[in-house]
Amino acid sequence: MHEMSLMSEIINLVSEDARLRAIQKVSKIEVIVGSLSNVLPEALEIAFFYFQKQGLELIDEETELHIIRETAQSKCKNCGFEFEPDYQIALCPKCEWTDCLLVKGETFKVESYEGSDGT
Amino acid sequence: MKVKLKENVLKDLTMAANFNRKVFKDHKTLVINVMSSPGAGKTTLLEETVKSLGNDYSIAVIEGDLATDRDAERMRSLGIKTVQINTVGGCHLDARMIAKTLPEFDFHDIDLLFIENIGNLVCPSGYDLGQDYKVVVLSVPEGNDKIPKYPVMFRRTDVTIINKIDLLPYLPFDIEEAKKDLASIHPKAEFKQLSALTGEGMDEWIQWIKDAYQKCIKP
Repeated sequence: MHEMSLMSEIINLVSEDARLRAIQKVSKIEVIVGSLSNVLPEALEIAFFYFQKQGLELIDEETELHIIRETAQSKCKNCGFEFEPDYQIALCPKCEWTDCLLVKGETFKVESYEGSDGT
Repeated sequence: MKVKLKENVLKDLTMAANFNRKVFKDHKTLVINVMSSPGAGKTTLLEETVKSLGNDYSIAVIEGDLATDRDAERMRSLGIKTVQINTVGGCHLDARMIAKTLPEFDFHDIDLLFIENIGNLVCPSGYDLGQDYKVVVLSVPEGNDKIPKYPVMFRRTDVTIINKIDLLPYLPFDIEEAKKDLASIHPKAEFKQLSALTGEGMDEWIQWIKDAYQKCIKP
């Protein structure tokens, strides 16, 4: 449970980039959170709410946080079967091969943001 | 204006981890990040490890705890250079915290650095510290079901150590099931079982460190 510091990393990333583009207001931030990233989307939202109230320059109560949830996906290296794993990330439910590749689910990134220069 | 940033949220921490990694590599220091829940026996395992290796290797330790320097004192009493990080409530160590401690060490003279992470099976798994290996310790009283319950930790760790095996006769911990669950989550993970208290199984762990050190100095 460290979503407050994660949200702070997100805001820093966006702020740094926005400064370079002379963007003064951010209206929307889009974040992708994988189901196996150990990040809790709900806790991120609470942290974001806290930052909205902080009266930061770029982010205010009108800024929207959009979280895209990425479901986990594994691919069997033996039979090619693709599946959404439960905890058995590496086990193919079809041929029981135990060295499946996790192709999705660990992502935690800022996909995009929208902003204006304030004019 | 829409900006497609597509940037990893932990970008800055990844940079810090890469910085640490370069320092460790340049000095041929083998770094092992040890994780577990509170009370699994990380410190006892490190004490016994240091006692076994201390004559042949120069060892240093970074101790992570929310508060106190009790663990650091335990390591220092064995003559080991130890730096304590107190996270004051923080649930994991990150690469920036490690980077800040680096000036306190003379890496020319350190073969092995052990980092004892905060006791927690969730958060530390997500943070690269720049280590060569991540090790997770699971103790017999916790139960073997912790492997499927915390798949992300076991997925991202190179070695799983079952500690306190001297308690196996008294507790319902199923070693075979633990191996099977680990194989279904991370088939390439090393699996070791030992008791840091009685010394049973320690030889294999010590040998694993020696082999890892050889790989580290002659890549």
